[in-house]
Parts: sequence; C-alpha cells; structure tokens
Amino acid sequence: MLSLRPEEDRKLRDLLTRLNEESKSKIVLLIDKSGQLISRSESPAFSSDDVTFASLTAGNIAASEALSKLLGDKSLSHMFTETEEEGIYMILIAGKYILVSIFDKRLSNLGIVRVKIKKYYREIEEILKAVEERVEEESSIPTEIDVEDIDLDTLFE
Amino acid sequence: MPFINFATKEINCKIVYYGPGLSGKTTNIKWIYDHIKPENRGEMITLATETERTLFFDFVPIEVSNVRGFKVRFHLYTTPGQIIYQASRKLILKGVDGIVFVADSQEERHDANLDTLDDMIENLKDYEIDIEEIPLVFQYNKRDLPNILPVEKLRADLNRWDRPDFEAIATKGVGVLETFKEITKQVLKKLKK
Repeated sequence: MLSLRPEEDRKLRDLLTRLNEESKSKIVLLIDKSGQLISRSESPAFSSDDVTFASLTAGNIAASEALSKLLGDKSLSHMFTETEEEGIYMILIAGKYILVSIFDKRLSNLGIVRVKIKKYYREIEEILKAVEERVEEESSIPTEIDVEDIDLDTLFE
Repeated sequence: MPFINFATKEINCKIVYYGPGLSGKTTNIKWIYDHIKPENRGEMITLATETERTLFFDFVPIEVSNVRGFKVRFHLYTTPGQIIYQASRKLILKGVDGIVFVADSQEERHDANLDTLDDMIENLKDYEIDIEEIPLVFQYNKRDLPNILPVEKLRADLNRWDRPDFEAIATKGVGVLETFKEITKQVLKKLKK
C-alpha cells in the first residue's frame, strides 16, 4: 500500500507546480505504474479527466516497456507522444512512477520540458523514497479511515 | 496496491475483471457505468477493435464518499479475453487489489474458462501475488443461454479457493451488482487488515 500524508502531498504538489510553471506545461502529473494518480500540479485550466489520463498513461508505458523488453532492451526510461497541438512527455522515476508533462507546442517544447524535469527529478525521487520508507514502517492503515462506513447501496440509481 | 492520500482524503483501489474472450467482462463494467449515478463515475474508456472486441482494456473510475469525508475510488479494468492478448492481460494485472473472474457458462467455452484461469494464476505468480490472499470473486455468466453447465460443475472446476460466486446474465444486469459489491467489500476488508 502506498499513502501520502498531507505534508508529503503538499511538497509534491509544490514541486510539480513549480515544474509546471517553469516548463510552461499545461499540467504535470505524477502517476504510479498501476495507473493511480499520485499528485499533480496546480493547473486549474487543465480540464481533462486526470484520473482517466493516469490509467491510460500507465497502460501506454506498460505496453511500451513490454515492447522494449521484446526487443531485448533492459528498460524504458522515457517516452514522447505528439498530437497536432500538444506534446506529452513521460519519464519513469525509480522504475515505479511516471512523471508526465503535457504542454502546448506553441508555448513550450520538448527541450525546455526535459531540462526543467532534470532540475526537479532528483527532488521528486527523494520525496517518493522517503514516502516509501515511512509506509514500510507503518503496519496498517490508520484509524481515521473507517471502511465500515462506506455504503455502496447509495451509488446506484 | 491501494493508494491513500490523506491530504485529499482519497483511497484508490484497482479491480480487474478477468476471463475468457466474450465472457462478458466489458458488459459487466458497462452495466455498472450505465446504472451508476453520474456524479459517482468518471469517464469510461474503451480500447477496443473495430469489431468491439477489447484490444487492451476498458476502464471506469467509480467514486464513493463516506461519512468521515474519505472518498474511495474504485478503478475498474477489464482485460482483453482473446488468447492472442496474453501479454496485455498481464500488464493490466499490475498493482491489482481485487479480481472478478467472469466465466462463460456455456459448455463449449469451458476449456477457455480453464485456460484463462491458468493464465491468470501464472500472471499473478509472476507479480508475486498470492491467489490465496487476493480478494477474488467468481461470476458464472450467460445463465440464460442453452447448453450451459450446472453451477456445481463450474464451481468445482474454477472456484478452487471457495470464494464467493454468483450466477449472472450480464446483458440484463442480473448478478452484476452483487458481484461488484462483493469484490469491493473484500477489497475494503483487506485494506483494513
């Protein structure tokens, strides 16, 4: 299980927001390889569904990694996808997380995005490592979550 | 692997619908998507071929809020059932928190059920997930068709771990909700442990 405490969430969000501003991206997302959205930059203008985006990104990375393995390469480190107006740059962190920048090609470019990611990469990696170490020490989920309270019957029409 | 964010008060869990080709995995999550209140669901994504066969996966995020302000988000995925997509199926199991095995009740599809179950067991092993430990529910689908096997036979051959199982007619929504509720219950219970 992975969990983020409020202070860790804030640190990550601050870093991603700074990275987003400096790289002139539309949004920067941090995703884990199973497709969960871990954090994102403060980018109110980004209107797409970030949860769905996270699951598709993880699927995309997983397929590309499997392809590179088929070709005999050890691992995939980054990927770039281009649409008519946008660039989507994805880079793996510690082999487990995916950092994604979505940028408007008229406002930024792959070079700027990569340079700015390089600047923050280590810091993000260190926070994630610290999170993992803390999670390792905790044995179970804290008592503030009561899963008994969750009522699925109200979900359906 | 569930992901909990204490700042945004969110718990995220991944549930995968696994089963042979055309057993009704997509039909299950499509039914859930169609009947859930719009405010509780995100966009449904379908990566399918031109003939509407699942190519990579389908995805539906479902959100439940509880009284203490925690939001639980279930990410429902289906795998592509066709044999040729073995590699893709394995990718989707990464980080899975609960599995629904959707079996086809028709006699002529039983070998496909058994092969797909073996394939699932192998894939879980590769991810070092213990099938004895992971939340798992069986669904025997297509109970309205002729030439179906008795539930006892399906249970004996597939449900070797004595997990909860349900009969279903997914096209009509029969058994779909029961299956979904059971797997989410198990996933949440496991979280508590």
